[in-house]
Amino acid sequence: MTRALVADDEPVLREHLVAMLAQAWPGLTVVAQARHGREAIDMVEALQPEVVFLDIHMPGVNGVEAARQIGRRAHIVFITAYEQYAVQAFEQGAVDYLVKPVQPVRLAETVHRLQQRVGSGPAATPAALEAVLTQLAQRLGGAGARGVTPPLRWIHASVGSAVRLIPVEQVHYLRSDEKYTLVVWEGGEGLIRRSIRELAEALDPASFAQIHRSTIVNLHQVAQVHRGPNETAEVQLKGRSELLPVSRSYLHQFRQM
Amino acid sequence: MMPSPVVTPRPAGRRWLAGMSPRRVVAALLIGVAGAAALNPIFMTPFVELLGRALVLSLLLTLAFTAAGKWRQTALPVWLAQVLAVALAAPVVTFAIYLVSVRGDLAEFLGNEHRLSGFLWIAGTALLAGLVLSLGALVREREAQSHAQALHFALERSTLERQALDARLRVLHAQIEPHFLFNTLANVQALVELGSPRAAPVLASLIAYLRASMTQLRSSEATLGAELALVRSYLEVMQLRMPDRLQTAVAVPKALQDQRFPPMALLTLVENAVRHGIDPSEEGGRIEVGARRDDARLRVWVADTGRGLDPAAPPGTGLADLRQRLEAFYGPGAQLVLSEGEGGRGVRAEIVIEPEDSP
Repeated sequence: MTRALVADDEPVLREHLVAMLAQAWPGLTVVAQARHGREAIDMVEALQPEVVFLDIHMPGVNGVEAARQIGRRAHIVFITAYEQYAVQAFEQGAVDYLVKPVQPVRLAETVHRLQQRVGSGPAATPAALEAVLTQLAQRLGGAGARGVTPPLRWIHASVGSAVRLIPVEQVHYLRSDEKYTLVVWEGGEGLIRRSIRELAEALDPASFAQIHRSTIVNLHQVAQVHRGPNETAEVQLKGRSELLPVSRSYLHQFRQM
Repeated sequence: MMPSPVVTPRPAGRRWLAGMSPRRVVAALLIGVAGAAALNPIFMTPFVELLGRALVLSLLLTLAFTAAGKWRQTALPVWLAQVLAVALAAPVVTFAIYLVSVRGDLAEFLGNEHRLSGFLWIAGTALLAGLVLSLGALVREREAQSHAQALHFALERSTLERQALDARLRVLHAQIEPHFLFNTLANVQALVELGSPRAAPVLASLIAYLRASMTQLRSSEATLGAELALVRSYLEVMQLRMPDRLQTAVAVPKALQDQRFPPMALLTLVENAVRHGIDPSEEGGRIEVGARRDDARLRVWVADTGRGLDPAAPPGTGLADLRQRLEAFYGPGAQLVLSEGEGGRGVRAEIVIEPEDSP
């Protein structure tokens, strides 16, 4: 008797696959159904099924990450809906896949391959499995898996009792304001509970530059830099009247401007 | 000054007279003065009498030119009729003037060498000047016509361009995400094959959604009510697909449903709430759609209790597009405000529209 796990966040599709498997592979028992990747990993750990059907698109831990965790403890079949890019990754044959809506003929082929593989140990070599998973993760846009923190794209700013969400493109400048940081954007301003130093590290250096111990400006919003005597300068932003002082240690950034 | 030329008061005559714009009359008089001055040195006739003849002649030739232009006939091209009228009128009118000056005594006119040569001089000059000037007037008229036509074409082109852009935008708005469609169809197929009674409602909601988005595609005058129908059918489909993870509430006062509202604007926000709030969350959450009027401002919002905004999530083109669509639809009086949901859970997206008559 072969044991299987079905993981999909949409209950109807889970039920359907279970029903189709009952037809296509009477000798298979679906021992559990998982609603997301984390649940699938836990269930594989606890129940040790030989076959795992994993929907790629699942909340929290997605199918690709779950497959990486499950590794070679089970034969993995991915399920996907209209994800051509993902299907291309499977064409190399290391891992089997089904496209939703699942067709009985296509399911029969997969069942046939699984029946042959289950008897003869793990299907994919670790290297081949890893290659497919890496490719899939990239195609799903999971660049964050590399350990590099992506730059900040949204600012959470308190305005009265609300917390506004501002795309960083709209931010004009940020200035430290006692305990908080004041963020000024087109048409408003608010407070952030993060220090200027933290923000300077989190923002994309291609767009934001620190010009003073207490000030960061959006370089795309700079209208002009007024040079003063004694190695001083002031930055003027587009459509704003205030002049932001540039301190001597940050002045080098505007040498070429 | 000579009295104005007398014209037989027929209705058609009035129409011809209407073509005699003050500008044209003044031009005719000036040409008459110039002609009289040019011919004065070779005439024994007192200048006042010569001037009188020249003015009557130039006014009548101008009238002939104008009348031929207004004359409804098909035998000749209008410009040729006008030139022929001037060419014919020049000798005939001059002859008539001379006949008046000899009091109808044809023999005296034909027998007087001075009068004959005077007739020839005046008629010849009038013919030459008349032809040159009428050709000039025709060229100017043609130029003005082609200029007006060019303006008309430019206007038509810009209108067409705008219409094409609108149509493209509407098609773009109506685009249904393949991922959504295939996943929903997979659900429908599954329910049918499982023999579930829920198959019919899911299919009905999908059809309602598709129909609503097609209707939106056609109507340029979209309302909040129509947009809500679209949003409701979309949410129904999603709720049937993720019954354990999605709760919804759509509550908009009836009085606001006739408000003009850009097609697909609310749907974009609801789709975002599903895609970025509910779908990535293991527990799911609730989506609320509401609207209210306060201080003449219209506020329409979509609030979810989902995963909230990832600070590192690249801002998609969806919201930037929506901002542009709102501006195109309402002008600068509309804005899209994003904030954290109540208690820091999820996202609240609100469209705020200033009343249209306010500055």
